[in-house]
Amino acid sequence: MEEEDTLRSVYELLQLMSSLNETRRAILLALGHIYPRSVSGVQLSRLIGYSGKSRSLYRGVLAHLQEDKMILIDQLTPKLYSIRINNEHPLLGVLVTMCRAYGKEAKNIYMKALEEE
Amino acid sequence: MDQLLTKAGALYKDREKIAFSAMLIAGSVAFYFSYAPGIIALSPPDWISGGWIQGFEVVASYNTVGFFLALVLMAFAYGFWSWAFLPEPATIYTMGVLRGILGRDAIIRQAIGKRFRILLDGGSHIDVSCRIKGPGGEWFLYRLTSSRYMHNNLEGIAFRHGMSVRDGRFTSQISSDELHSRTLLLAKAMMLVNTT
Repeated sequence: MEEEDTLRSVYELLQLMSSLNETRRAILLALGHIYPRSVSGVQLSRLIGYSGKSRSLYRGVLAHLQEDKMILIDQLTPKLYSIRINNEHPLLGVLVTMCRAYGKEAKNIYMKALEEE
Repeated sequence: MDQLLTKAGALYKDREKIAFSAMLIAGSVAFYFSYAPGIIALSPPDWISGGWIQGFEVVASYNTVGFFLALVLMAFAYGFWSWAFLPEPATIYTMGVLRGILGRDAIIRQAIGKRFRILLDGGSHIDVSCRIKGPGGEWFLYRLTSSRYMHNNLEGIAFRHGMSVRDGRFTSQISSDELHSRTLLLAKAMMLVNTT
């Protein structure tokens, strides 16, 4: 029974991820791997290879992801935000679990990109 | 971005330019007609001393009121125009995508204000409203809203389909390249609500 629940969640996660566009998918994957760390907008746009301004990322894509409770954004100072994935989300929780179990190497790559300031 | 939408975006930009230059011309014409026939002054309040009054007569006159009225009307017409109508290629794109998921003979009603309503079997509907330019500079954003439901696990179902719930309706803001896949998910979520 439990296995069926997990499979169902994985199916729904797969469906959700494939319904999102490239930018959103990249954001969720990157944030899922580096969980529980949170990143700033500039760091995030570097992680996902976003070429536009991080300000337009906030006002568009990130605002919509937050509205659907997929990510959490805390405003630290007027200009600095900390962005992390919402681990309480029923499907993204599964993603985080999977990333932590099988995504060590990918996580290292992401972390390395973060350290290169 | 889809080719039709690229076209629609270019068309929109062109139209904006045309509207702006038309407004410049119309503005000058309005200016001429407001002030040429002679100044009709509003009666100035009597606490203003004589020397000021002559200057005030031009500024505080019915001509100025009329001129600003003309400007406001123009701005209003432009605002209404850009609120109400989607460039034609974008309409074709939207209808094409929606018909692609829901079948050739799905009933889709187009309303003024860049909105579409899809009527589904069983009385439920999906509202699709489009925004030409989002706050992040993104072209063609859509907001999907379902009809209202009473269900005790509405939020759970919404989360599992990447949406949120706002007063009993599934809702989500999506980009143009997600229109197909996420409308599909919304339709699936609505079926789930109906069957459980």
